[in-house]
Amino acid sequence: MRIAVRLILLAVVLALGWWFWGVCFPSAEKVISKKMAGLADTLTFSADANNITRAGKASSFISYFTVDAEIIVDVPELGSHTLTGRDEIREAGNGGFAAMPGLKVTFLDTTVKVGPDKQSADVSCTVRVVVGSSKDFGVEEMHFKFKKVEGDWRISRVETVKTLK
Amino acid sequence: MFSRPFGTEIYCQGPGVKTPGYSHLSLRDRGANGIIVCSQLSLDLRFNMGVSNANEQPARPHWLRVIVIGRRPELTMVRIVVLAVTCFVVFKFVLLPIRVDGISMLPTYHTGQVNCINRLAYLRHEPQRGDIVSVRLAGASIMYMKRIIGLPGETVSFHQGKVYINGQVLDEPYVKNSCDWEAGPFVCTSNEYYVVGDNRSMPFDLHTKGRAERERIVGKLFL
Repeated sequence: MRIAVRLILLAVVLALGWWFWGVCFPSAEKVISKKMAGLADTLTFSADANNITRAGKASSFISYFTVDAEIIVDVPELGSHTLTGRDEIREAGNGGFAAMPGLKVTFLDTTVKVGPDKQSADVSCTVRVVVGSSKDFGVEEMHFKFKKVEGDWRISRVETVKTLK
Repeated sequence: MFSRPFGTEIYCQGPGVKTPGYSHLSLRDRGANGIIVCSQLSLDLRFNMGVSNANEQPARPHWLRVIVIGRRPELTMVRIVVLAVTCFVVFKFVLLPIRVDGISMLPTYHTGQVNCINRLAYLRHEPQRGDIVSVRLAGASIMYMKRIIGLPGETVSFHQGKVYINGQVLDEPYVKNSCDWEAGPFVCTSNEYYVVGDNRSMPFDLHTKGRAERERIVGKLFL
């Protein structure tokens, strides 16, 4: 009985240790997943969000990208667009946040694969977008390329994936 | 001397045993404090070991308890565990529950309908023309629901709203809306299927369709 209690206590201590280690030293996959969740939060705003909130979101949005980042979007509703460099992304971001009636972005089925060099990572996910108070939603499969810049993971490339060719 | 009340029964099984079975035994055989001395009985008697008071009725469980956890809680627990494991395995690995959203499969399926994807449908054979399948994006959270019209290696084209496979018109009784789509030809490679929705009244550019790789086809619609 005493041995069983000791074993259970040992298992609890090990589990707590494992959890604490994960909190203090998270894996790259966890950090990138958190980044993706943060990006979704940044891109989500309600229709009644004021200009200050929108400007703050736009500024925060830029901080996710590297200086030479590239966004390639090809969707039937919007056509094909390519944004290269942080300045172009900032311009498009500011315009988008100001003009949109509201946005809700969710990243689903996020898969993170860290490269063998531990300095780059590939993320694939399904993006679900609801514009304004619409009941319809848009769905697109997307691929993100992350790079580690000065100890921080940043997006270097975003592109839409054609599920049906 | 005898604490056993009158009418105490001993349950016996065996030839020539009367029930209640101890009335033919002597007081000594009955033993002190009502313990039956079994050695005096013939060897082929088998006791049920249970010695209970005939005056005591077995306590009946409360009706609410019977309804909630049954007469035998341990059996109910086993049933719950078996049911939970079965549900988990079936709905995780065999039948994937889905809710239809969108107009591209009208009139066959409409928004709000609930269905299941049979993940094992293509274990023994490859997808067939006319099958309604789910095509995954990055994962299975959101999928396209489409009908297969073109098989690997075939050429698909749309002319005056009709589908042509390798130049031959395809009979599509499930398409109820007329259309004027003009597109193609689209050539499927050895690993691709051409999928499209049943609602052809939509503009061609707004309808999601195209060649889907075999790995992306999760399963066939169950109902």
